[in-house]
Amino acid sequence: MKGHNLKQYGTVAALLAIVAVFGILRPQAFLSLRNFVNITRQMAPLAIVALGATFVMTVNEFDLSIGSIVSLGGIIAALLAIRGVPVAVCFLAAVLICIGVGCVNGFLIAKFRILSFITTLGMGTVLDGVIYGLTGGATIFNGIPRSFTIPGILRIAGIPFITLTAAILYLAFHVFMSHTPVGRKLYAIGGNREAAEIAGIRLFRFRVLAFALSGAMAGLAGALVASRVGSANTTAGQGYFLQSYAAVFIGCTVSKSGVPSVIGTLIGTAILAVMANGLTILQMPSFMQDIITGGIIILAIVAQKIGAGR
Amino acid sequence: MRRFRTITKIAAAVAMTGVLLAGCSTETPETTAAATTAAATEAATTAAEAEAAETEAAETEAAGPLAGKSISVMTPYMASVTTNQMVGYIEEGLKDLGAEVFVIDTANDFAALASRIEDVVSSGTDGIVLVSADPNQVANQLQEAFDANIPVFGCDSGFIDGMQLNATSDNRQMGELIVKYLFDDLMGGKGTVIALTHRPHPGVVLRCEAFDEIIKDYPDIELITEQHVPAEQPINDAQDIVANLLTANPDKDSITAIFAAWDEPAIGATNALQEAGRDEVIVTGVDGNEQAVELIKEGTNLKATVKQNFEGMSEIVCSEIEKYFGGNASEPGEQYAPAQLITQENAE
Repeated sequence: MKGHNLKQYGTVAALLAIVAVFGILRPQAFLSLRNFVNITRQMAPLAIVALGATFVMTVNEFDLSIGSIVSLGGIIAALLAIRGVPVAVCFLAAVLICIGVGCVNGFLIAKFRILSFITTLGMGTVLDGVIYGLTGGATIFNGIPRSFTIPGILRIAGIPFITLTAAILYLAFHVFMSHTPVGRKLYAIGGNREAAEIAGIRLFRFRVLAFALSGAMAGLAGALVASRVGSANTTAGQGYFLQSYAAVFIGCTVSKSGVPSVIGTLIGTAILAVMANGLTILQMPSFMQDIITGGIIILAIVAQKIGAGR
Repeated sequence: MRRFRTITKIAAAVAMTGVLLAGCSTETPETTAAATTAAATEAATTAAEAEAAETEAAETEAAGPLAGKSISVMTPYMASVTTNQMVGYIEEGLKDLGAEVFVIDTANDFAALASRIEDVVSSGTDGIVLVSADPNQVANQLQEAFDANIPVFGCDSGFIDGMQLNATSDNRQMGELIVKYLFDDLMGGKGTVIALTHRPHPGVVLRCEAFDEIIKDYPDIELITEQHVPAEQPINDAQDIVANLLTANPDKDSITAIFAAWDEPAIGATNALQEAGRDEVIVTGVDGNEQAVELIKEGTNLKATVKQNFEGMSEIVCSEIEKYFGGNASEPGEQYAPAQLITQENAE
């Protein structure tokens, strides 16, 4: 029972402990409403990308093209914005095209039963080429209209639009995954693929769905980041690739069974974001930030293994 | 199930059509596409060469001093606005001289850059131009070029023995120019400063070293913290870092200035300051990229940058390549294109 609790609450306790440490060290700066809003806004793009990675990991697959899809989403939205396309359409087009990329990934993997690792690695390389072709390798910023930056900087009742978007997505997908037959089946596939197949769950459909959702989230995050900074960098997504999986893996340590979950990923992302925010507020040198953050990720996974062994 | 597959196929088709349409509507140099293909696989290299031969045949009429020469322009940092500008200038300049130009970008990946250098050396390129890349990191591969008597020209890179040239701004002098302007003219010799740096870059580190040296002479200027900004998305990351540092230093005038070692983090810092309403904090950058100059003109927190003369560097490279193949190469070494301080008064 003790081990059970450690597994279920250990990661949440770790997040609270990190918050407490920063809170004690820099109470005025860290424990302010403004900083809380700051953290939620800074973590929102990563949270959205990691949500997509969660779906893919739920069906026991990997999407290594996720970083390139983030970059593609930003580039498509920015290129369309420059051509005077309304902002909503820019975002919609970016998301739809990235869903298409996800569908292709899922289709290839499910249809030909090939390793997602290799397929998405290939797709990532293809997308890098497409991005290069679209941009000539350059960051896009010339001619981006002001209206394009609105979603990135807009606040509604003091809450950044990016934060609200992430919050709504997490709420919606938490309900979807936990309380709808489709969501439960996705979890079931991750739990035991063979059993799921015997139970009559059509794996093909669900794997394509997982990759499509992953593409959608990555594309949306890319467009939001481009909107926030007012430019689209061809390598913007690279940083999100490993971080999103780190968030999902930390998130796996939240649930009883050690599988990916929407809430787990949110907590994983929060740990990474709070660390980055708190260590910067402490004005810690960058190299120490990397050492400490990496150490915490390893500790979280080890703690879960110890918990599982009990 | 069938209907679902049909939907999947339609979605894929829509996605690909969208990407292709977007691709058609942008102007991408053919040679760039050919070079990317060449970089992908060896098989593709052959295809690119075949394509190159066609281009060559088509361009025989447009002869110039570099007619028949094939030059590989290589960089790991094409996403950087300024690197991209330089590659563009060099490509145009060399083509005007009649050369055939292959542009190769390896998207922040130095290992891939090393492999691509090996590839172009073995495919018998006539010359290599290394743009914004530290030659020390690919020294073994460059040695292969030196051994094969392939001349290597640097543009905003660095210089190692065996190279013909590195055309650059004097990064140290640019660092001194902006830091002295910041400390003397903008800060009046006192206050607090945050440094946003990226020391792995060969040019940026020299600016940082100028900052390190000069701040020692200003006892009334205190360095609050130095933060490393990653190169993948420097604007976004600098914006987050500065937002957090503003939270840590909430009082007005607790931060006098932010020194950014290049323009992208300066832009991110400016975004964060504007969002937080901290009009009193001064920001400076280095590079003179268009977005930064625009912010200086608008009268934002970003007050000054040093415009590197990228066009000048590119011109030096093209003219030295022309001289080399004309049989009157200059002495190997570094050549500097002079830099200029940009403030609201002269921003254009």
